[in-house]
Amino acid sequence: MKHFILASIVAGAMALPAAAADYTIMAPAGPGGGWDQTARSLQAAMQQEGISKNVQVLNVPGAGGTIGLAQFASQQKGNANALIVGGYVMVGAILTNKAPVTLKDVTPIARLTGEDEAIVVPAASPLKSIDDLIAALKKDPGSVTWGGGSAGGVDHIAAGLIAKAAGVDPTKVNYIAFAGGGEALAAILGSYVTVGISGYGEFESQIKSGTLRLLATSGEKRVPGADAPTLKEAGLDIAVQNWRMVAAGPGLTAEQKAAITADVKKLATSKTWQETLKTKGWQDTYLDGDAFSQQLAKDISATETVLKEIGLVK
Amino acid sequence: MSTFEFLLQGLMTAAQPMNLLYALIGVTLGTAVGVLPGIGPALTVALLLPVTYRLDPAGSLIMFAGIYYGGMYGGSTTSILLNTPGESASIVTALEGNKMARAGRGGPALATAAIGSFVAGLIATIGLAFIAPLVVKLALVFGPREYFALMVLAFVTVSSAFGDSTLRGLTSLFIGLAFSLVGIDQLTGQTRLAFGVPDLLDGIEVTTMAVAMFAIGETLFIAAQGDKGPDKVEAVKGSVWMNAADWARSWKPWLRGTFIGFPIGAMPAGGAEIGTFLSYATEKKLSKHPEEFGHGAIEGVAGPEAANNASAAGTLVPLLTLGLPTTATAAIMLAGFQQYGLQPGPLLFATNPQLVWGLIASLLIANFMLLVLNLPLVGLWVRLLTIPKPWLYAGILLFATLGTIGANPSVFELGMLLTFGLLGYLMRVFGYPIAPVVVGLILGPLAEQQLRRALAISQGDFTVLFTSPIAAGLLTVAFLALAVPLILRARGRGEVLSQMAADED
Amino acid sequence: MNQEPVKQAEERRPDWAALVIAAVLVVIAAVIFADASRLREVMGYSPVGPATVPMVIAFVLILLAVWTVFAAFRHDFPEREKQEVQPVAWIVGGLAAQMLLLNTAGFSIATGVLFAATAAGFGKRRFWISLPVGMVLCLIVWLIFAGLLQLSLPAGPLERLFQ
Repeated sequence: MKHFILASIVAGAMALPAAAADYTIMAPAGPGGGWDQTARSLQAAMQQEGISKNVQVLNVPGAGGTIGLAQFASQQKGNANALIVGGYVMVGAILTNKAPVTLKDVTPIARLTGEDEAIVVPAASPLKSIDDLIAALKKDPGSVTWGGGSAGGVDHIAAGLIAKAAGVDPTKVNYIAFAGGGEALAAILGSYVTVGISGYGEFESQIKSGTLRLLATSGEKRVPGADAPTLKEAGLDIAVQNWRMVAAGPGLTAEQKAAITADVKKLATSKTWQETLKTKGWQDTYLDGDAFSQQLAKDISATETVLKEIGLVK
Repeated sequence: MSTFEFLLQGLMTAAQPMNLLYALIGVTLGTAVGVLPGIGPALTVALLLPVTYRLDPAGSLIMFAGIYYGGMYGGSTTSILLNTPGESASIVTALEGNKMARAGRGGPALATAAIGSFVAGLIATIGLAFIAPLVVKLALVFGPREYFALMVLAFVTVSSAFGDSTLRGLTSLFIGLAFSLVGIDQLTGQTRLAFGVPDLLDGIEVTTMAVAMFAIGETLFIAAQGDKGPDKVEAVKGSVWMNAADWARSWKPWLRGTFIGFPIGAMPAGGAEIGTFLSYATEKKLSKHPEEFGHGAIEGVAGPEAANNASAAGTLVPLLTLGLPTTATAAIMLAGFQQYGLQPGPLLFATNPQLVWGLIASLLIANFMLLVLNLPLVGLWVRLLTIPKPWLYAGILLFATLGTIGANPSVFELGMLLTFGLLGYLMRVFGYPIAPVVVGLILGPLAEQQLRRALAISQGDFTVLFTSPIAAGLLTVAFLALAVPLILRARGRGEVLSQMAADED
Repeated sequence: MNQEPVKQAEERRPDWAALVIAAVLVVIAAVIFADASRLREVMGYSPVGPATVPMVIAFVLILLAVWTVFAAFRHDFPEREKQEVQPVAWIVGGLAAQMLLLNTAGFSIATGVLFAATAAGFGKRRFWISLPVGMVLCLIVWLIFAGLLQLSLPAGPLERLFQ
């Protein structure tokens, strides 16, 4: 009885079409995170731009995306209508979890977005610049606590890279992993950790309001509107970005891959998507084809090196 | 304009007939998806958020508020009627609520939950409007060591759900703690007890465990009694509504639950379920009828339900004042706000007063709609229990598995549901309490991580755990809660010596 | 309170089920010990590492097992009601069937089987009624939650009729 009432309310109010889904996008993470938001933004943009009439998002959370990836690779072989969102975090998670299914088992299509890492301290911190931080780190690495996301994730990798570039033993980094950006941010604001490291977007509004001081960002270029040097400008030869990509199932024909790539490219250049990038504060780092494959291979080997140096991967 | 005028203006907008309808639709949708066991508010909001995009900003904000409160409330109904908690925050509700429903008092249980949620939502939303900046300062004082102390306190309170045997209660708790070890250790990235199974890397999902232990374990247990039990539950004994005594016993727990739940919800790592545990323990300690706890005490429904809803509003405090999403639900809401051109953060109240007050007004309206929707339905819901047992339990299993499949359509997850269902059944057969297992699963990792974070920050100095005033205060309360009953028992040993000799555990 | 006041003093046989429970607790503790001992201790700033808490939990489980053995000899466990095995088997079978059928037969058929099996566990064995009722009910649920609310529930032959 309840269902009929409900159904009529829903149907009456929304008149949603119950048509078949053209694309199913897997977000290999729980709702709310970056991949989920990417998948849901893709869904909205694809439908709005008419690239696909009906797009479904499927959340398969767990273990830095490796659980979703494994499920995707085994179930979507040869399926040209299934996509999965992924990114740099997945590269690290595959290595630390020794995941049996890797990015080689799917068909990476294109890199969509990127976000620089931001290194911040609370406004009251005695550390005024990235040089102060490096000096403190050199003096006593254990006393500098880094608050960021999960162990082995991009935040942790970036912290390890900074220590290494500064000539400090990366295994001596006192990295405190938090469940998510929110929890880490609270610990930074409460001055429970010395320095915070996470995606720029996580800290943006705090930086603008002056409660956090931005010491540096990790990209090749400065973040527009941000008043801080890149790590390279500060004399540390590192550039890291937390990028996100979209991949398709394994075993696709060249035509199928080309068709999906064309759809994704159309999406990435569409007005809706560009607008989404702006509201979300994501950088457009679109890259597809061979250029993307090469970049991906480079990222994977670089990440493996770092994780070994931090001591997370043997 | 003053804050009060902003709020008034927001309320005027929200109270337009069309917007009221949107609020009602939002609350209905939120409740409908939220009742599914295993699908918590986060997924509910994620699924339904796109629906709101079709409306104008005011309408969509209002519908969104409805979905949020509806999703938070949805789990209570199934907890009370079917002993199937929809999400971790309504586990405690099932303890007393279902006992009440079994005794023909499902009506009052649902009513006290609905009214308690309304009262808590009202007070907490007003709190959000006027004292948010203050509360958030308090919340930020909590660092790892303070959270660790809070978890210790929460652990002590679990003992109030132990039932009649300390041995079996402790065993249940440690079985839960053992399960909580499964998965990737968040602080070092190493896997524990996953045995190479990828599905175990992220640990055991609390909702899967809760649904299996409560709904499936219970179904198996009832079925195994054969024809011994009564064929039907007597759905209504006495009035469907709360009587004078129910009111008298409910109003204080509502208020206490609100004051426990709101600040804990506002803490970045507090979590709605911690507030419900603390509220339950408080009510049991303060109740004039402690003997009724475990057999259907209305205070045990009223307090935790209020705490649950108050913490839902509490979550919005760091979100709106700091732009800090402290739960998955809040992270999705953040994405939703961006749709309205609203960038939560320290400057929000200054730069976007119309929208903020519009949202707060919407929450007040949604909270009211929740009551409008749920109170008249109480009579209908209670009738569910009059369905003959075979069809009732077949339906319960349908919805229990639907939630799990919807949240994560994997065969492995269903396998876990079956395994834990059998475990829940066996534990019932041997008289082990169920709730401590789930509580251990929730609290174990939180306590461990906060302890290790605190120690890593202090570089191994254990004294930091006691040197902050808040941590020391919380630990003292925990110690007293543990020690005082023991001392009292020791004093009265003369009279009860014979009883203790007979059953010292 | 003593739940078994009539228990005779000469009844010296221990409660075997309780001994089995104690053994299970020891086994769980052993598994945790074995797993924890293989963990690498990385990043030594916290003296409480990834293996410490598992060790403590395993140790307490052993203590609880010992306590349970004492309880078994003292008959501290409440009297158990006689359990019927057949209904439990029906429901467990229904859940197992749903698990195996879900991805091939789709949500409605798999869950319809669970529905009918559960009803059978409670004594309603008329499958020509319970199976179709269950499947239709599940299909309605599927249409609402997967069709309208976009929840991802696996589709099978029945669901495809409506896509």
